[in-house]
Amino acid sequence: MDNFKRLLRYLKPYRFRVALAVGLMFAVTLSAIPLPLLQKQIVDVAIPLGKKGLAQSANADLLRARQMLIWVFAGIIGLYLARGFVSYTLNALIGWLGQRVVFDLRFQSYRHLQRLSLAYYDGRQPGKIMARLTSDIDVIQYALTSGFVNFITDVATVFIIIGWLLYLEWRLAVIALLILPLYVVNYKLLLGKIREVSVELRERREKMIGTVTEKLAAIAVVKAFVREQYETDYFMQTVRDNFDLGMVQVKLNRFLGATSQVIRMLGTGLLLWYGGALVLRRNLQPGELLAFYGYIGYLYEPAVRLVDFNVQVQWAIAAIDRVFETLDTRPEIIDAPDAVHLPTVRGEVEFRDVTFGYDPEQPVLHNISFHVQPGETIAIVGPSGAGKTTVVNLLARFYDVQRGAVLVDGHDIKGVRLETMRRHIGTVMQETILFSVSLKENIKYGKKDATDAQVIAAAQSADLHDFITSLPDGYETKTGEDGIKLSGGQKQRMAIARAILADPRILILDDATSALDSHTEANVQAALSDLMKGRTNFVIAHRLSTITSADRILVVSEGRVVDSGTHAELVARPGLYQDLYQEQFKTVGELTDAERVRLLTAGAA
Amino acid sequence: MQLLARFARELRPYAKTLLFVGLLTLVSAILSLQIPNIIGDLFDALNERRPIHLPLVFGSLLGIAAALAALGYSMSVTVTFLGQRFMYDMRRTLYGHLQSLSQGFFEKAQTGKLVSTIVNDVGQVNQLITSGFVTVVQDGVTLIGVLFLIFAEDWRLALMALSVYPVYVVNYAVSRRHLRENAAKISELRGVILSDLQEKLAGVQVVKSYAQERAEVRQYTSLNRDNLNLNVEQSKMGTALFVRAEVISAFGTAIVLCVGGNFVINGQLSVGELVAFLLLATTYLYQPTVRLIQLNDQIARTQAGLNRIFELLDTPPLVTGDADAPALPTIRGLIRYENVWFAYEPEQYVLRDINLTVEPGQMIAFVGGSGSGKTTMINLLSRHYDVTEGRLTLDGYDVRSVNLPSLRQQIGVVLQESVLFHTTILENLRYGRLDATDDEVKEAARAANIHHVIEALPDGYDTKIGEDGTKFSVGEKQRMAIARAILADPRILVLDEATSSLDSETEALIQDALDTLMKGRTSFVIAHRLSTIIKADKIVVMDRGEIKEAGTHAQLIEHGGIYARLYAEQFRAELEAVAA
Repeated sequence: MDNFKRLLRYLKPYRFRVALAVGLMFAVTLSAIPLPLLQKQIVDVAIPLGKKGLAQSANADLLRARQMLIWVFAGIIGLYLARGFVSYTLNALIGWLGQRVVFDLRFQSYRHLQRLSLAYYDGRQPGKIMARLTSDIDVIQYALTSGFVNFITDVATVFIIIGWLLYLEWRLAVIALLILPLYVVNYKLLLGKIREVSVELRERREKMIGTVTEKLAAIAVVKAFVREQYETDYFMQTVRDNFDLGMVQVKLNRFLGATSQVIRMLGTGLLLWYGGALVLRRNLQPGELLAFYGYIGYLYEPAVRLVDFNVQVQWAIAAIDRVFETLDTRPEIIDAPDAVHLPTVRGEVEFRDVTFGYDPEQPVLHNISFHVQPGETIAIVGPSGAGKTTVVNLLARFYDVQRGAVLVDGHDIKGVRLETMRRHIGTVMQETILFSVSLKENIKYGKKDATDAQVIAAAQSADLHDFITSLPDGYETKTGEDGIKLSGGQKQRMAIARAILADPRILILDDATSALDSHTEANVQAALSDLMKGRTNFVIAHRLSTITSADRILVVSEGRVVDSGTHAELVARPGLYQDLYQEQFKTVGELTDAERVRLLTAGAA
Repeated sequence: MQLLARFARELRPYAKTLLFVGLLTLVSAILSLQIPNIIGDLFDALNERRPIHLPLVFGSLLGIAAALAALGYSMSVTVTFLGQRFMYDMRRTLYGHLQSLSQGFFEKAQTGKLVSTIVNDVGQVNQLITSGFVTVVQDGVTLIGVLFLIFAEDWRLALMALSVYPVYVVNYAVSRRHLRENAAKISELRGVILSDLQEKLAGVQVVKSYAQERAEVRQYTSLNRDNLNLNVEQSKMGTALFVRAEVISAFGTAIVLCVGGNFVINGQLSVGELVAFLLLATTYLYQPTVRLIQLNDQIARTQAGLNRIFELLDTPPLVTGDADAPALPTIRGLIRYENVWFAYEPEQYVLRDINLTVEPGQMIAFVGGSGSGKTTMINLLSRHYDVTEGRLTLDGYDVRSVNLPSLRQQIGVVLQESVLFHTTILENLRYGRLDATDDEVKEAARAANIHHVIEALPDGYDTKIGEDGTKFSVGEKQRMAIARAILADPRILVLDEATSSLDSETEALIQDALDTLMKGRTSFVIAHRLSTIIKADKIVVMDRGEIKEAGTHAQLIEHGGIYARLYAEQFRAELEAVAA
């Protein structure tokens, strides 16, 4: 319930509109009051008068009765026109409020999600995050807006109608009121079950969306192992779980509805019984009872709605909790209050006694220290799982170090505005992600204000221009949906073009050329060496040819820098690097000298 | 309209349930129509101060209410069950269909939109069934009953009450098109928002690398603003329609009340009759009519979703597996590409006249630039696509003539990007063979040289991927993918750049495992790193969809063609170092 109060704060900026909505809702409710009175007027006054006039041939009375009918007619039409106008304004207002709050919540959640660090995403299926942003917020919308406005109005209406009924005829009013507590009892009895089911229901739904998103995104694996049937069965199990619980929810809802209906008729029946007896004893006019019969609906309908609103809130609370849980997750990486802007950097990088683990209990890097001069090219080599990618992840500040510091140009990166920091760092990763927009937009992702000429230049450097211009739509060709299929190598060159265009001072190539065949790699390598000129570069690569030209090589093993030096130095002394090097050498070593010479000349040609 | 007809056809299996609900509705409509009569009789008696058995009135009203509540409860539970059942079946059909669609479809489709169809669109159809169906049946039956009753009561008043009907129709017809068009826009935009969201959440690392968080928030916000405007527009239109209908109802009520009042004065009608008539007209005639009109808004909103559902169901799988086709028996592994031509897009041939024979147990390596057709060769073998011309046989069976799962089960593929699911490592590895024992899983992990890494984790094989704060390097993930393939124990093994992200030391370790694995199996290896393929029985060099060279490493080096040049390029550093 605390979270619900917190949710109400989202209505605060629109409090005047909420107040207006409540006011209008009142007007709509009150506008219903005259109708039973008008009916009463006809039954108790106009009809007896007319009958009397007809019987006694008193034309004046008959005329007056007929006039009265016309006035009532005009009254009803006028009333409903006014009511229609107000209720249109009201519904439009509530519709706006609901959409607006959804908009605000989505905006906040998404902005918050973008602020959250990679660590948050590592542990979550994108589908589950999506579910929170979409369907959970939708559920909230109802409870918050039309539900809330109804709630305020209904509470007020119940009191006003009670007062009005007491004024009209207190004995009948007491009869009608006797029934109200039953609604509350009925609701309280089911409350526990409703809460339980609603939490479970949101969880199951989230699981369903998580599963379907993950498996559809990785359909290649499903197909490779011929698991289509298995996946369908598995998905259907999650749907089945939703189905079963959904039925429980419906039964609870309907049961509540059905019992409310009976309670209502119980009240109405009692009223007619007692009221009828009063009329027969001539203590009441038939028209008065008729009016009362009309009003009792105004009492019970809000009462039913109030119960219903509470149920809706219960259904929504599980969703509300989820959304706030996301909003309350603190980003692990945030700008310090006194974080500085770094408009330009030279590209000096230092790791000072850095210790880090994705799980703080299990360090992946231990006391790493090294210093890189601006413009230097550093290769990081080591077995898989040694921590190579982690080193560059820390440099890009996707994660914060647990001990020690990472410094750029002498500034601890924890004290630098994240956004300005990352703009100086360009990363080309092992797995290339392209978005479903045009090739041009994809390349421009790193520098949104780039001109077409700059895009083309970048594509040329990445050896992509010829391929792109050979496509019918050229740079406007879409990737992804309804778009073209790019090979692994083409995708990687797209990523390189993107980095070229972003023009960072510090460049990270994390196995950037692994998906390229050697011919393309040679071309791209030329582009890359141009790109790397004058920048600080970190290169992670398995192929020695990419590494030998580095200014310095860091050999990493089990989270420690075990050796460093130039290729010539490292290959000369026994150690991990020499082992790695010789492993790659094996094939060449088996060739005869003559073959080697011939190959070298062929390669040079 | 065609759409709704098809929708109705989809509902046919539920005809019996629908009939049952219809019956219940009829009973409850007849029952509820008794209430105005009881009230009318009561007021007739009261008006004349004629004694009436009041407890009986109370009892019958309460009895009817209880019966109506019971009927209403069982009816809505039945209908909801039907709706949920329909949703369940629909999701199964959709998801099953998606699974049968070829790889090519998914390379182009955005996951977010597909998810949106399965989750949201189907959900909306369910809502239409649950609330819409009840409205149509219940209100439809009520309307017919009421028409009958009011004409029986007083035909002149009945005509008066009905005089406003043409206005209802006009009112509805005026806004129908706008409502529908706007609704279609809303659900389309919803799909766009969802797929954008899915893509950006899955690619969050790219977003962060380029510090584009703010731009993404702006983009998302602008899409949501459009969504806001469209939805506000829709609710305004819906409200306007509804409010006008209410005003029209008020006209009807006023006419009945006043003309009827005049009838009572003239002695043509009793007060009780008028009261009953008023109740009938407002509660049982106009309210159902207004609800039926409101239903149109809902149908409009659902139509676009239905459209997408059917569109998806109508997408034919590129490769249609004949369910009756004979299963492929366990093969030896003789593969023949005979004059194979293939194009993803018409006329743009990716493979041209390929002829290749692979003997059982051979290791074949494909070498060539990106886009040369290497992966396509494999895609045709796994029958993710069908050859455009020529044929492809396995042990003499044309791949198109055999049962698809039986074919793919014998082919194990290790892809370049290793995808692991959000579940335990054990479950992930077991994905290769669902009935594998824990020991078999560990055996496979050992063979892929990943066992010791997993054992070192606090939770071992029960560690959940993506949770528990563990993050695996690309090389580790790749080895898990290999373990998965080892466990599947296929007759034909395909390694599509499977080892490219491994360092050479790890690769050497895995290579031993792979060598054991490949023994006795036909295997295909695609690798840019030539060191992995030197011992292949046959290296096939491809360029722009054609086989340019084929032979062993020694033969090709000797030949001094494309392969020799590639080799020299790749090993220049080493060659020079040795030469020096």
